Amino acid sequence: MAQAIASTNVPRWLPADQLDRLIDVLRADGRTIIGPTVRDGAIVLAEIQGAADLPAGRGDEASPGRYRVTQREDSRRFDHAVGPMSPKRWTFPPRAPIRLGRRTSAGVRFSGVDPRPTPRPTPLAFIGVRACELAAIKIQDHVFLDGPAVDGDYRARRASAFLVAVECATPTSTCFCTSMGTGPEVTTGFDVVLTELDDGFIVRVGSPAGVTVVDALSLSPADGSAMKAAEAVVAGARDAMGSPMNMENVHEGLQASPEHPGWAAVAERCLSCTNCTLVCPTCFCTSVVERSDLDGSISTSERTWDSCFNEGFAKVAGGSFRPLVKDRYRQWLTHKFSTWWDQFGSSGCVGCGRCIAWCPAGIDVREELAVIGGVGPVPMPQLSVVAAATEAPVTISPGSVPAAFVTVHVDGSSRETADTMTLHLNTTDRRLLAGRPGQFVMATLPAFSAAPISISRFRSDGLDLTIRAAGPATRALTELERGSTLGVRGPLGRGWPVEEMTGRDVVIVAGGVGLAPLRPLIDACLAERDALGAVRIYLGARTPTDRLFVEEVGRLALRMDIEVEETVDRAGPVWLGRVGIVTQLFDHATWDGRNAVAFVCGPERMMQATSEVLFSRGIDVDRTWVTLERNMSCGVGLCGHCQLGKFFVCKDGPVFSLAELGPAFTTDGL
Amino acid sequence: MSTRSTVDNALASGWFGAGLTDAARAHLADMAHLTSYPIGEVVIREGQAIDSLAVVVEGRLALRLNVPGRGAVTVLTIEPGDVIGWSALIPPHRATSTIVVLEPTSVVELEGAALRARLDEDPILAAAVLWRLLDAVARRLSATRTQLLDLFAQPDREPW
Repeated sequence: MAQAIASTNVPRWLPADQLDRLIDVLRADGRTIIGPTVRDGAIVLAEIQGAADLPAGRGDEASPGRYRVTQREDSRRFDHAVGPMSPKRWTFPPRAPIRLGRRTSAGVRFSGVDPRPTPRPTPLAFIGVRACELAAIKIQDHVFLDGPAVDGDYRARRASAFLVAVECATPTSTCFCTSMGTGPEVTTGFDVVLTELDDGFIVRVGSPAGVTVVDALSLSPADGSAMKAAEAVVAGARDAMGSPMNMENVHEGLQASPEHPGWAAVAERCLSCTNCTLVCPTCFCTSVVERSDLDGSISTSERTWDSCFNEGFAKVAGGSFRPLVKDRYRQWLTHKFSTWWDQFGSSGCVGCGRCIAWCPAGIDVREELAVIGGVGPVPMPQLSVVAAATEAPVTISPGSVPAAFVTVHVDGSSRETADTMTLHLNTTDRRLLAGRPGQFVMATLPAFSAAPISISRFRSDGLDLTIRAAGPATRALTELERGSTLGVRGPLGRGWPVEEMTGRDVVIVAGGVGLAPLRPLIDACLAERDALGAVRIYLGARTPTDRLFVEEVGRLALRMDIEVEETVDRAGPVWLGRVGIVTQLFDHATWDGRNAVAFVCGPERMMQATSEVLFSRGIDVDRTWVTLERNMSCGVGLCGHCQLGKFFVCKDGPVFSLAELGPAFTTDGL
Repeated sequence: MSTRSTVDNALASGWFGAGLTDAARAHLADMAHLTSYPIGEVVIREGQAIDSLAVVVEGRLALRLNVPGRGAVTVLTIEPGDVIGWSALIPPHRATSTIVVLEPTSVVELEGAALRARLDEDPILAAAVLWRLLDAVARRLSATRTQLLDLFAQPDREPW
């Protein structure tokens, strides 16, 4: 015990020619060693066999759009800044199989790819990890491990990783860790930290695992002159970066500037190539790619890195929510420096500067922050990236989230319109049956990507899904017949606040297929009818043949205790009902909305028009609830596709009040 | 024959008339009468001269445009409170669409030439009535714009 404490507190000395001893101790634990090495004209991270693979005597220089390996006059191994790769490449690999789907005689089945209850990837040791990278790892730990959903693949890889940090000595012109409060000093999150001098390393430990490793080396304490030299190394690195930027206003500044002309200006240079997101050590957005054998009987779902700069990233069946490069650059920069605070309680940037060096157009985020985000050059107290947030992140999601697809049976289906079907599913899955109105599920078949589908009815023995065939996956789902099976994961997201209805008048406005997620809410109204005031339902559709649940709506309209009005946008002469936009059903109504709560679902523009009329009828923004459509892919806030400002629509919504959304509801391209 | 108070009450029952001052509504009631239309009646035909403005009291009418090859397209239905025949006040006094009765309908009808003359000589009444009429036309314009967006349309199918 005494020795352990001594090891913890006393810096040790590791002579330069004995670095392999450290590597050998780590390897003896069965670890793969990942360290810097020169390859393809860059200092990259790769598996190394020994100290000889490290870039001795090599440095690097970087500026916007430029990176070069340089020759140094000494033979130090770690006196460079960061190359294009970060430990993320291993803790969160670009491709990872996450699920197998099979078609068997008993129906479709979904399982993890690793049959063991707890997958155990090869343990890793990283050597040469910088302070900015430790901060990045901490940020990704928070994203993937602190819930509500946990990424099991990341958890397994991360748990095995041993981190040998190195103090930075020579930053490049693209480094700005001092502005982000992440470096250059290594202060936390490491197992062992080295400070490199010409003839050896000062070795300090930062964890019990680090103590064990350093004890095994039996090193002597570092002497005073070496300690002094080590301090000068870090101080020199800090000085080399100059004055930190004043990041104080960036959180508010970026979110307050969605229409700033700077976005269009930077978009003229931005190639939307995704380089910045691929080299970023904190970017975590992913997609899932399905790889199938030829007959579709077995398929692998592979998680791959994706980027908010890809055109299809925010795409849904009706089009892309961020069609312009300007929209995508704004999303990236605003997320990284601003909405990340709202979501995770820290900045998403650690100041490593990779996005500046590896941008082929030489775009420097520091300049864009100065133009758009009100970031000044004045030295100010730093924001600490790892400090607790001043304001709690958005946590309005349910506690635990379902992570696995369960097999459910199709009991039958009903055709609603030419391209929309309602599947009646049987299941005993208690979690699915306990869902709330307005929640959704991810539905899938082997070899097809999963699609977010609104739950359109809850029954005691199952649920209904109403699905419009908008692409191959949803088409395959609509073609399922009685007796077939599919995979369902859910219920997901935050549903309608049903409790808000009690004692109030209820106004429900649906446009087109938007009626589907409102149907369970209407069911709830009927079940609680005595506890509610007036119930008014207004339905719009494109044409008479595009209406959903026609017979059911007809029966509702016959009830004396519910008002149902329908309209269509256009009709031929045989239609004797109303024609006109849905707001015309109530924009001159005589009811008073001051004690009403409204629930709206339809195309976003229709919901905006509807909200204005509801507001003029006395329904305030905190009593008007809408449900949003975005590219929901993981459904649990981990893949990043469905972001709208500070929200993950899949877990913070899809139901929001207008008060919660604020300007995000009407800002184009967000 | 409708009495003045019946006409006044009918006017007051819908949003158009309810928003008028009592005095203005009384003036209109003086010169208006109630008219009923059976289902299927063509009240106004597109392009024809139009000689009355009416406020719907009860029923439903379809505002239709004829598209050769596509037939009659209903672009709007008109409900109690809505106005038909605003062209009676604005030159060239020709109907911009055909209006067909879908449900038994009654309207408060005002003869066009007489109403124009009355509004010309009474600016206070004109201000009251024309504000309401502007509201009705603006509302229809705004609704038509939103309709033009065809928000519920399916996008072009994905290339798959």
